[in-house]
Amino acid sequence: MISDPLNERESKIDRLQLAALAGLLFIGAAFVFSATMSNPAAADKAWYVQSWFHQLIWYALGIGAGGLVCLVDYHTLARWSFVAYWLTVVFLVAVLVPHIGTTHGWGARRWIDLKFFQFQPSEFAKLAFVLAAANFLSRPPDELRFPENFWKAIGLMLLPFALILKEPDLGSALVLLPTGLVMMFVAGTPKKYLLQLLGAVGLVAALFLGDMMFLPGRWQIPMESYQRDRLLVFFGRNYTDFAPPQATPAELQRLREQQISDEYNIRQALISVGSGGLTGKGWRQGTQHALGYLPRAVAHNDFIFSVIAEEEGFVGSVIVLALYGVVLFTGLRIAGSARDRLGKLVAVGVVTLIFSHVFINIGMNIRIMPVTGVPLPLLSYGGSSVLGSLIAAGLMQNVYIHRRGY
Amino acid sequence: MLIFDELKKNDLQLRTVAMVLAGGLFILLVGLWWVQVVSSREYQNHLETQSYRSIRLPAVRGKILDRTGVNVLAENRPRYNLSLYLDDLRPQFDDAFTELKKSALAAQKQRIAAQEKKLRRPLTKAELKQFRLTTEEWEQLRTQARVGEAASVVAEVGRWLGQPLTLDAAKFNRHYATELAMPYPILPNLTPEQIARFEEHFAGGLGADLEPQSVRVYPFGDTAAHLLGYLQKDDSSAEGEESFFNYRLPDYRGKVGIEGGFDTELRGHAGEESVLVNNLGYRETNNVPDLPEAGHNVVLTLDLNIQRAAEESLARHQGSDVKGAIVVMDVRNGDVLAMVSSPAINPDYVSNNPAYLADPELRPQINRATQENYAPGSIFKVVVGLAALENGLDPEQTYEVQSDPTRPGRGCIYIGKRKIDDTAPPGEYNFKLALERSSNAYFITNGLHTGIENIVRLAEKFHFGEKLGLPTRQETRGNLPSLARVQSDWHDGDTANFCIGQGAIVVTPLQMAVAYAAIANGGSVLVPRLVERIEPQDPASGESATNFPAGVIRDQLGVRPRSLKILHDAMLAETEEPEGTGHPAAVAGLRICGKTGTAQVMNERNEVIDHTTWFASFAPYEHPRYAVVVMVQGGSSGGGTCAPIAHDIYEAILKNEKSEAPKVLAEN
Repeated sequence: MISDPLNERESKIDRLQLAALAGLLFIGAAFVFSATMSNPAAADKAWYVQSWFHQLIWYALGIGAGGLVCLVDYHTLARWSFVAYWLTVVFLVAVLVPHIGTTHGWGARRWIDLKFFQFQPSEFAKLAFVLAAANFLSRPPDELRFPENFWKAIGLMLLPFALILKEPDLGSALVLLPTGLVMMFVAGTPKKYLLQLLGAVGLVAALFLGDMMFLPGRWQIPMESYQRDRLLVFFGRNYTDFAPPQATPAELQRLREQQISDEYNIRQALISVGSGGLTGKGWRQGTQHALGYLPRAVAHNDFIFSVIAEEEGFVGSVIVLALYGVVLFTGLRIAGSARDRLGKLVAVGVVTLIFSHVFINIGMNIRIMPVTGVPLPLLSYGGSSVLGSLIAAGLMQNVYIHRRGY
Repeated sequence: MLIFDELKKNDLQLRTVAMVLAGGLFILLVGLWWVQVVSSREYQNHLETQSYRSIRLPAVRGKILDRTGVNVLAENRPRYNLSLYLDDLRPQFDDAFTELKKSALAAQKQRIAAQEKKLRRPLTKAELKQFRLTTEEWEQLRTQARVGEAASVVAEVGRWLGQPLTLDAAKFNRHYATELAMPYPILPNLTPEQIARFEEHFAGGLGADLEPQSVRVYPFGDTAAHLLGYLQKDDSSAEGEESFFNYRLPDYRGKVGIEGGFDTELRGHAGEESVLVNNLGYRETNNVPDLPEAGHNVVLTLDLNIQRAAEESLARHQGSDVKGAIVVMDVRNGDVLAMVSSPAINPDYVSNNPAYLADPELRPQINRATQENYAPGSIFKVVVGLAALENGLDPEQTYEVQSDPTRPGRGCIYIGKRKIDDTAPPGEYNFKLALERSSNAYFITNGLHTGIENIVRLAEKFHFGEKLGLPTRQETRGNLPSLARVQSDWHDGDTANFCIGQGAIVVTPLQMAVAYAAIANGGSVLVPRLVERIEPQDPASGESATNFPAGVIRDQLGVRPRSLKILHDAMLAETEEPEGTGHPAAVAGLRICGKTGTAQVMNERNEVIDHTTWFASFAPYEHPRYAVVVMVQGGSSGGGTCAPIAHDIYEAILKNEKSEAPKVLAEN
């Protein structure tokens, strides 16, 4: 409250946000270490092939990339945003081509194998979309009244959405929707359009879920079976309810076993989080990932939060939430103090993007959201995600630095 | 809030976004609070259920000792089993699987290539699927890798031990599926030589190791086997014990005898071992949060020397297959010093031949000293005689036994039209002579004079027909007709039978020992004591022992000392007079009062099919200390069959007293 306005004016960067980011990076490194070194087979390997070390490298590269982003005025970046946008769209198409995109054995084509780096275009597509949408929406509010601009904005959002959904990566696709909507809202798109859009999205979602949950198999929208299964798990339906009527007992049994194994990850994540209790078991003392109940393949990326929650308890969870809170609200403050609509929209876009990731990921760990492989920004292991998140942070700082440039 | 205030006041959109964000973070916060604080306990339980396996650890069973507290009748010894520790073998399992996987993949590739060559085109996805290994096939490969590795370890261990060992794959797979956290047993009960060889070659390595297991041993073999009872395999939780365990180590439960009756005390309290397992079920670490509490020792009143002398004597005279029983009791306090039942069983129950255990003729499982009814025959005459003396019989008054017309030189008596044989020759009999010669006619006549009700009243004070309250679960109560029973539909013939220990009266040898002890000690009917005390196995534990009181009096006969004196004198004559039927029992230096008996065993058609022969006695005449009752089924006569056995026992008692005397002096 009693901050010194002079000092505030002089600071070139938002130090509070940087401190919170540094805190998250520290936690990320510590728990990627904890989550991966508990596996004796992995711990025996040399330090330079360890995940925690790779994560540190990505942090360093990400900080460098974020810094570079700050050097160029966001107006200049915005001018090139459509190039970035179409470039990522090309990559998103390329990733769907069998010999370019790889599945990592996961069933979904999300990566492009660059040998030294498993490039995940969707992480960068989200950022490119934020920049491009900010650039497009920063036109005078009056122009946003034209329906063609509204539809263009929708198209801008739906193209990467559809391509990412095709991979399929439901989570990454879904975060685009709130980001786009919030940006349109902040830009001043007329309420009438937004309500219609919201209604349409809600209707489609309701029809989609209703179709999937209650109609028998042959009436359903074709969909990757694992995605449908994950949603069924989340909504508490039994797989056997969807078995064909002539299913044999053996087939029903197989469905039940399938359900147990699909529920497994979320159940183990919940046990991890819940058993952490108030104060947790201590760093590297968590048993869920160490004993392999929480699958080792996901403990250090999508489910890193449950490792933190198990080892540091509710206290640790609150610290993580608080750090994200600081990043998000300083981001909104940057949006508020931005020089122009473009800066405001970039900051709001980045904030919403980060928030969507955090909410979906942590929500998935405590079963208020379905399992949809969305990384936790800065904490989850993964080069693309870390790079993307730090570049996003750089964009916010960029807006802050150039808040009164002339 | 700092950040809120700094947002431009008029920027409604940003404020809305800020509210939505704050709301979202708040939802997460509440959700986390719910999961991590409110429901934390529930998830911790889930965690424990899935990652801990509890193992029931049986406690070390208490010993059973004789009255000296030195001679051990039952104890535990470690036995070493050779087991595979699967968690140690896991890297080998994985390596073996990796090898199998390589060749399997190569073979798969070859098959696909061959097919493609044949069709001259690349295979479609659907076609490829047919050539790929299924999940089940991969699982089979894993199993194959495990079984292969385990079998090679087992074979190698077998080579070193000099005993070819093979792995039963089906058993191994079953163990892997259900008891992965437990070691897999490959060879039970190693010999000391095998243990030495194993330790020499494999200390710590290989994933195979020795696993100690406690087994019950009975150092004196079948000595006092019936009294000790036996154990049966039973690892279920006792009352008041944790009832859920994932695994249970072998444990035993006492079924009968002291092992059965004092099972709770001997068994102690089982403990719990907690094993942390990983998601595949392999053991990671273990700890023992609940140590087992060792069971207590049971110190018997039995004197091992007398017990063994009695057993040896019975076997020496009648062979080890004889059906019989011996009870030696201290008449002053009711301590059972020896209790023999023949034929014996091995207390290590499973080592008995099942056909032998089930033999309908021998019935070796029965404790003949307490668990079977026998007609007492003439040894019951002391009770009838005592009742007659108490009811005014003049012991000097004579009775003439008439001659049996069909058996020259033998007596008989007519009850109504029925003739009852007497083994005693015809002639004049007073009380002493009648007892000495065991005259049926005399005791029937005087019994009828005394009246059945008076005899039954005295017999009730001896508590015939009632249980003694033994803790061994091996007891029958015998039979004594009630006063009500003898007051209606009861004939003189029934009384006559009763007076010579036949018919309605049946007893156990232990009941007879209690009765003779009462006659010996002046009329106190004692509660027989089998267990002196229960004490902690570790004297340093600070727990106090539970002592069972000696000399608990159940009833007083309330008879005149004079009657007892007359009876004692007559019984003394029976063994000391050369004419006495019990003379073979006589021992130099010990005056024994005794009574022989030969009871007839009838079938349903009232034909004599067998004899139960008895010798019941106490000694010394002056200050009685010991009651000895010997019963042999199918013997020739009480004097001929049982008295010599009693003779040996009394000799052993004398010898035992002599060897103990210096010790007693030293203690004083």
